[in-house]
Amino acid sequence: MIPLYFDPGTGALIVQFLAAAVAGILLFYRTVLHKIKSIFGIKNKEEDDFMDETDNSEDTK
Amino acid sequence: MESKRNTSSFRDPSGYVFIEDDSVKRVVNHIYFEQYNQLTSSGFYQLLFDKKYLVSHQEVSRTDSEIIIEASKIPFINYPYEWSFLQYKHAALLTLKIQKLCLENNFTLKDASAFNITFHEGKPIFIDTLSFDFYQENNPWLAYKQFVMHFLGPLVLTKYFGQDHLKTLALHLEGISLQKLSNLLPLKSYWSPILLTNIHLLAKYDKKYESDKKKVNNNLSKASQIKLLDGLYDYILNLSVNEKTEWDHYYNQINYNEVAYQVKKEFVKDWFSSIKGKSLIDIGGNDGTFSRELKELADFMIVADVDANAVEQNYKQILKNKEKSILPIVVDVLNPVANYGFNNQERFSFIDRVEEANLDAGLALAVIHHITLSGNIPFSLSAQFFSKMAPNLLIEFPTRADSWVQFLLDSKREFKSHFDFYNEENFENEYAVYFEIVHKVKIDSSERILYSLKRR
Repeated sequence: MIPLYFDPGTGALIVQFLAAAVAGILLFYRTVLHKIKSIFGIKNKEEDDFMDETDNSEDTK
Repeated sequence: MESKRNTSSFRDPSGYVFIEDDSVKRVVNHIYFEQYNQLTSSGFYQLLFDKKYLVSHQEVSRTDSEIIIEASKIPFINYPYEWSFLQYKHAALLTLKIQKLCLENNFTLKDASAFNITFHEGKPIFIDTLSFDFYQENNPWLAYKQFVMHFLGPLVLTKYFGQDHLKTLALHLEGISLQKLSNLLPLKSYWSPILLTNIHLLAKYDKKYESDKKKVNNNLSKASQIKLLDGLYDYILNLSVNEKTEWDHYYNQINYNEVAYQVKKEFVKDWFSSIKGKSLIDIGGNDGTFSRELKELADFMIVADVDANAVEQNYKQILKNKEKSILPIVVDVLNPVANYGFNNQERFSFIDRVEEANLDAGLALAVIHHITLSGNIPFSLSAQFFSKMAPNLLIEFPTRADSWVQFLLDSKREFKSHFDFYNEENFENEYAVYFEIVHKVKIDSSERILYSLKRR
C-alpha cells in the first residue's frame, strides 16, 4: 500500500462501521417498504437516470 | 521540446502531471509501478475507459524508474466551484460508482477529492489516473472523510442554505471542516440517519480520535463498505434544492419578441459560419438557448452564466439530448475565479483557462448592459475583458431606448446621470481600441444592435 499523503482520520475509519450498519438498516427498510408498496400497486417515482449506463448489473432508479 | 511540470501536481508521490507540446502527460513513479501494472494487466483501466468513467491514456515510454503516459486532452478543465447543483451531485455519484466498481475488482480509491473530476462531453469524468490502489481485505475506505468534506458537505449545505455553498471549495481547498459542517447544519438534519452518521457522528469521532494514531484496518467488510456507499448514493441521488434565482426561466419571463428572437438567431448562425469557427464561449448564455442553435457548426461551446439554476437547466438539456459539445459552467464575469492554491498555482483562473483554450469566438448577447449598468464597469474595462475571451466577438448592445436599459437606469435614481456615457457612440469608441467593427446591424422591432467584432 502506498503511504497516503493526507490523513484519512482515525475517527473516520472507526465511524464507517457505524455508518455502514445504519445504511444497511435503511436499505433493508426501504426494500421492505418498496415490496409492500408494490403489493398495493404503488410505484415509486422514477428518478432521472443521470448516466447512460451500458452496464446493466445495477438497478437504475 | 517544451515541457514543464504542472504546478498543481505535487501532492501525490505516485506521480505527477506535466504538459509537453500541448499534450497532457503523466509520470508514474516507481513506487506506483505495481499498482499501475496490475490496473493495466487486469483490464481495470480499460473497463473504466469503456464506461467513460476515467479519462483514457496511452503508455508512451517505460524505464526502470518511471513510466510516462499520455492522457486524452480535455479542452477546458472545470472546477467544483463552477458546477451547478445537479453537476455537483453527479460528480459525487460518479465517485461513489467508481469506488463500488473498484471494490468489485479488488481495488480502491485512495482519495476522493472533488478536483479528481471535471465535466467533459456532457458528463462528469474522473481525471486522476493514479488515484487507484489495491484493496486490502476488510479495510475501511481511506478516502471516506475526504468524500464527506468535498462532496457530501457542500451538497448538504446547498440543500439547506442555497447554491452559494457550491463554491465552498473555492474558499476551502480541502473542503469544509467536519466540525464546522456539523455545527452549521440545522437540528432537523439529526433526523436523517445518513446525515446523523456521516456528518454529525463523523465530526464527533474525528475530533475525539484526533491525536490517536492507532491503526484501524480490519473493521469493515467489503459488503459493509458497499452498504455504506449505497446509503450515500441513495441519499445524494434524492437531494434537491429549491431556490429561486434571478435568471431562472429567463426565456419564459421576459417580454421577448418572437420576431427579434428569430432575427438574432439567424444572425448568430451566419456570423459563426462566416468566421469558420469551431469553438465558442457564450458569456451570460443562461440555459444555452442560443449556443444550441450552433450545434451543427461548433465542436465545443462553453456556456457560462452567473445563475446556477440556468446552468443546471442547460445541463439537464444536455443529458436529455445526449449533447457532447456543450460545457455548462457557473461564472460571474464581475468576479471570475482567480488562481488558487499554493503560490496561486494550483487551480487556474477562469480567464487563464479561456486564454489557454484558444477559442475561435465569443458571444455576449444581452449581457453588456448588466455588466455596465448593474456592475458599474466602464466600457474600456469590459472591452479589455472580452478581448481576452476570443479573437472574434458578437456582442448585443441594447441602446438607451431599450426597456431593460431604461429600467436599470431608472433604478439608479439620483446617480442616473453618471451613466450618461452609456450610448452607442461611446460603446463603439471604447471597443474600437481592442476591436475593429466588422459589421453592425440593428435588430428589427427592438432597440438592440448586434456588433460583429474582430480583435486587433
